[in-house]
Amino acid sequence: MAKLIKYYFLIFACFIQAEPFQSTYEPLPSENILIRNANIYDGEGNEFIETDLLIQNRKIVAIGKDLPSTNDFKVIEASDKWVTPGIIDIHSHMGVYPAPGVSTSSDGNEATSPVTADVWAEHSIWVQDPQYALALKGGVTAFHILPGSANLIGGRGVTVKNLQRNTINSMKFPDAPHSLKMACGENPKRVYGNRQQAPSTRMGNAAGYRKSWIQAEAYLNRLNEYESKSDDAKEMGYAPQRDLEMETLAGVLRGEILVHNHCYRAEEMATMINIANEFNYKITAFHHGVEAYKIADLLAENNICGALWADWWGFKHEAYDMVQANIAIVDQALGGKGCAIVHSDDAIGIQHLNQEASKALSAGLRAGFDITKARAMNWITSNPAKAAGIYEQTGSLVVGKNADVVIWSKNPFSVYALVEKVFIDGATAYDKESDFQPASDFDVGIISPNKNRIKE
Amino acid sequence: MNFSKKVIFIFLIFFNGVINSESTLIQNVTIYDGKNNDAFIGNVLIEDNKISRVSTSNLRGDLVIDATGKILTPGIIPTDTDIGIVEIGALSVTRDDSSDLYQIGFSIYDAFNPNSVLIPWNRSNGITSTLTLPQNTDSPIGGLGSFFVLDSNIKISGSKDIVMIGRVGGSGGKSRAETFSIIEDLLEFASSLGSRDMETYKEIAELIDDSPIAETMELHPRDLQALYKLVNDDLPLIIDANRASDLLKLIEIKRKYDLNLIIMGAQEAGLVANQIAENDIPLIINPINNIPESFDELAANIELAAKLEKLGITIMFNAPRSHNFHLVRQGAGVAVANGMSYAGAIKALTLSPVEVFNLGDRGQIAQGKIADLIIWDADPLEPSSMPEKVFINGKDVDLTSRMTRLTDRYTKNKEKPNGYRN
Repeated sequence: MAKLIKYYFLIFACFIQAEPFQSTYEPLPSENILIRNANIYDGEGNEFIETDLLIQNRKIVAIGKDLPSTNDFKVIEASDKWVTPGIIDIHSHMGVYPAPGVSTSSDGNEATSPVTADVWAEHSIWVQDPQYALALKGGVTAFHILPGSANLIGGRGVTVKNLQRNTINSMKFPDAPHSLKMACGENPKRVYGNRQQAPSTRMGNAAGYRKSWIQAEAYLNRLNEYESKSDDAKEMGYAPQRDLEMETLAGVLRGEILVHNHCYRAEEMATMINIANEFNYKITAFHHGVEAYKIADLLAENNICGALWADWWGFKHEAYDMVQANIAIVDQALGGKGCAIVHSDDAIGIQHLNQEASKALSAGLRAGFDITKARAMNWITSNPAKAAGIYEQTGSLVVGKNADVVIWSKNPFSVYALVEKVFIDGATAYDKESDFQPASDFDVGIISPNKNRIKE
Repeated sequence: MNFSKKVIFIFLIFFNGVINSESTLIQNVTIYDGKNNDAFIGNVLIEDNKISRVSTSNLRGDLVIDATGKILTPGIIPTDTDIGIVEIGALSVTRDDSSDLYQIGFSIYDAFNPNSVLIPWNRSNGITSTLTLPQNTDSPIGGLGSFFVLDSNIKISGSKDIVMIGRVGGSGGKSRAETFSIIEDLLEFASSLGSRDMETYKEIAELIDDSPIAETMELHPRDLQALYKLVNDDLPLIIDANRASDLLKLIEIKRKYDLNLIIMGAQEAGLVANQIAENDIPLIINPINNIPESFDELAANIELAAKLEKLGITIMFNAPRSHNFHLVRQGAGVAVANGMSYAGAIKALTLSPVEVFNLGDRGQIAQGKIADLIIWDADPLEPSSMPEKVFINGKDVDLTSRMTRLTDRYTKNKEKPNGYRN
């Protein structure tokens, strides 16, 4: 499947000449590290007690007891500490809704038309958002930035490494697929209904998606027709004119762009699955899904993840039926075949995704499910990595994967656990002990000229 | 109904009656008393609505709850929610938290809905009573909050209009200097009033018409009555403010008019912590909020609670209002993880609001106090923990909520269509 996607991607990339806005990410200087005697949740549902983890040349090279190392390895004694994969947030608006939350950099919703498949969140990102560094102290090594939910089809999302840099391209996660933000329910119908234009109802929402997919199918047919011609025939005619909206939607229909769908109510998620089947595309994840527990089996049957909050609710009618066991019910659908993700959608929440997972786990146990902490760790590591399309590179502690690793002072399912060290691609990105941490340009000298923002 | 059922029925009526008048003993429980003391293992006896004994030696009770290994705390008392006056945030028809007419004397007391789903929900999270506040009005000070006991009794039990709110800071379009001027003008005017002048609405209306305030604001007699209470009756005033310079200006105003001032938000309190401590100003902070969300909050810092505690400042916690106020325990846990004392965090959630807002004999586990108590299934500052038992006014209250009902609906009896499940 991955190969097929790459193959399609090549064709598509050829057609549009070169893929624009390529990642220019360069990791921090590589370190060779032996983490010794740690307790490990590997992000694949396993727990290893008093085990070593070896990082070399940016990759995880071994996990096991009493691993040997040479003198050029830095040894970190981690008895009584816990090690997890880097935390991944599948739903963030950092950068597009940065702090301070001022109108001049409120760039997450192109709320001027209900379908804006042509806009890309990455073109809104403020790289100096001071929130990235706060999330890093919460163990977050990568996150997926989405446009907001004002529109039926809001535009492309982007996955970035949590390393603040001076350009967006240099933060982009290499080879991560693009995503498409879609939104159900109250938000689009409120935004446009208030302007006396479509959509003003949920049925107007559904019609809006379907009209767009019909256009996208026609565009894709023209494209396929042109691409199936011989080279000679291509030279005789013209390629179809580029269309930014259609390129995004066609990318979804070709399986290259992953659909992330903001949707709260159960019946609306079911409707969106119908629409996806009608136009033969896949929904990767429903986001927020306060009512996902009502259709958990349907999500599992369709291999759709639920990217959910542990217990955030009540701010609008479609968020009224919250249950604390939502994430656990989605996880346990069809005998444990569900895909549950704990997401934040919030710059405070992203700093404490371990605590959110802990709440969701305990609610699941209270509801009678048998779920281990090791499995619940998947909700904030491997499952969001899969939904972002970066699972082959990161999201779990498996030999050969990127060394995106967090060392916690205590078991991360406790509120008292603090992040002590974060490694991204086998390089120290945060170290509490030596006070090694990034600060954005915004933080520099802003309260007192000789200090950074939150330094005493 | 056959004979044996009748007997049981009569017995139940009788037995229930007996239980209500008999005592409950919570035995062998780890007690955080709310008063910043270290935990101790002891026994707590509840009689009627009160705690009648707290002891480390054995006590006798009619109903004994063995709580070995469990933690007992006073019920949590929020200082900043809209519990009971907002059912769904984005649905204006369910909101009773604002007024177009009244500026200063707006009271939300009569809007309180004891049947709100928020009440069983918050109760199941260990929240036993609440200070419910309106939205800020157009006046920089104004709007009155009330205290409610979350017992779901249709007859509201609480205290009306016990606090005034206000806000200063960056607002877009007008200077905060203007805000401070209005506040001082209002306070100056209120200080000049005598109670004899305010016996009828007509007299109050004349006072307003003759005042310089009439030039800048449209006031109603209710507004002036509230303002009078503020300067003469020591009514607590919660001002939402964050920037360090604003906090200093508020301290100056407090001293000048001898106000009972509490500052909420206070994100930059760390920069002026000594002045806050010297002037004994209690703070309501959200300890998990370290986002520089505005230019007034640049110094937001996860270690704020710990820093303030070291200076002896009285701290209370807030959290996202009403639906998500249960997150306050997570915030308290984060404060402890970042240096605050455990007992201090419990006090911030329980006794401190009672002391600051004069909420009566609540918020503490001590002889003679009202028995609002929580037995937690594990450490209450771990957000994964939940109450196992909640007592309000000495009564063991039901912890069923709409959320537990919906959970049951989708995890039990799944063979039935969902409309026909319990």
